[in-house]
Amino acid sequence: MAFRKTNVEFDDENAFHDDDGSALSVADLEANVNARGVDVRSLLQRGNIAAAVAKSVTDPPAGRAPSSLKDRNTQTVMEALQAAKSAEIPAIVKTLTSDQLDVLMKYIYRGMASPETYNSSILLTWHEKVLEVSGLGSVVRVLTDRNVV
Amino acid sequence: MPTATPDVHQILWGVPVTCYAFNHDNTKVAVSADSIDVQIWARRNGAWEVESVLSQHDKLVTGVDWSAATNMIVSVSQDLNAYVWQHELSTGNWKHAMVALRTNRAATCVKWSPLGNKFAAGTGAKSICICYYDESQDLWKASHNKKHITSTVLSVDWHPDNVLIACGAADMKTRVLSAYIKSIDPKSGNPVWGDKLPLDQLCAEYKSNGWVHGVAFSPSGASVAWVAHDSTLNVSTSKDSFVTVKTGNLPLLSLLFISEDRIVAAGHDCVPYLFERRASSWELVNKLDQGPKRSVAANSAMLKFKQMDSRAQANADTELNSYHQNTITHIRPYAGAATNITHFVTGGVDGKLVVWEL
Repeated sequence: MAFRKTNVEFDDENAFHDDDGSALSVADLEANVNARGVDVRSLLQRGNIAAAVAKSVTDPPAGRAPSSLKDRNTQTVMEALQAAKSAEIPAIVKTLTSDQLDVLMKYIYRGMASPETYNSSILLTWHEKVLEVSGLGSVVRVLTDRNVV
Repeated sequence: MPTATPDVHQILWGVPVTCYAFNHDNTKVAVSADSIDVQIWARRNGAWEVESVLSQHDKLVTGVDWSAATNMIVSVSQDLNAYVWQHELSTGNWKHAMVALRTNRAATCVKWSPLGNKFAAGTGAKSICICYYDESQDLWKASHNKKHITSTVLSVDWHPDNVLIACGAADMKTRVLSAYIKSIDPKSGNPVWGDKLPLDQLCAEYKSNGWVHGVAFSPSGASVAWVAHDSTLNVSTSKDSFVTVKTGNLPLLSLLFISEDRIVAAGHDCVPYLFERRASSWELVNKLDQGPKRSVAANSAMLKFKQMDSRAQANADTELNSYHQNTITHIRPYAGAATNITHFVTGGVDGKLVVWEL
């Protein structure tokens, strides 16, 4: 099955090259992810869930970043989302910027893709509340954005 | 809240309006309805009738444009050809001239330049064919803009100076390129987009997060705007930066500047939206289609229970509350000066052409 990983477009001059937006090295990204995890956890311990959610969805490792880092960041985001009570969710969503809401929607779908690991019903509640504010456009952006979280 | 009053023309049934173009006084419209022909419809006694059929293409016609300046029609198709059609007053027929685009992929869209002496046809061969008429050889020639584009061209628009074009492509980039043809264009520079403008010079390139479906220059040419599949409208007034308006709606497919500071765009939501410039940014103001006022039938209660009984549906209303019942594919100006368009027209997958009065 090794042929599946063979790069057949190696010297094809017509091959489409996607722009790699990330300017950070892997080490920097890892440091960011770890720092973010620490910050989010401390905010959660102090009971500041809105700030924890906001911090977790700011500047995520996306696109070509290593999948281990992306998994770790997803874990951080899920911890923040699961800490919120259903009644608080609308208020938290109101404090987020439109960029943060788009990233949050990406993580909601990522979390829902692993129902055995993350609680889908909580994610469904989050999905409903975020959709009310940012509309179908945010879902379209989850589908079209090549920077997958 | 600004709205627009619609005038609905259901000219096609069961087929989409693939592409269309009105003539300069809106008495006729060239339409291709998912076919290899272009039909010219004319309005007679209040109803639309087919006046002529332009039949030369072998495959689906993907774009049509009617020049207000020269009254010539250009049509492009997946058969890799373009035809320029001229109306003969004596016979009332349309005479065709084939334009060899010299491309090996389908043509996707076409637009006459403001003066009507050139047209730009986007293709799937990652190029735009800039075609012009060579008097000495009595034929239409094509030059190619292909150095910078890396995927299928989806939309094209001309700058009012008749030299620059903006194009949106499936590589998710919008570009401003020069379509300067040495034999017919005067030498000129442009304050916003650059001074040296030989053919295929890249003046600006902007990245989006989705295929760029529609692109348009403002009436003065100082701004260029585009809509992409990531549900955004983007506007730029310089070579390096642009403003993004993220919408909470489905992606827009086509847009039009109705003045220097206002844009109307429409797409998969089946309604036109109005965007306005506010200071240095742009904002979605509202949708211009508030839906037809439904008259409540006297026996609607009986109808409702009847439908519940026969179809087990509490609400059998499957119609959208908007004038278009399916995606709007193109939005074009209909009346008014370029700096203050008073009427625009939308055509869609539901076979309707709707003229909106602002």
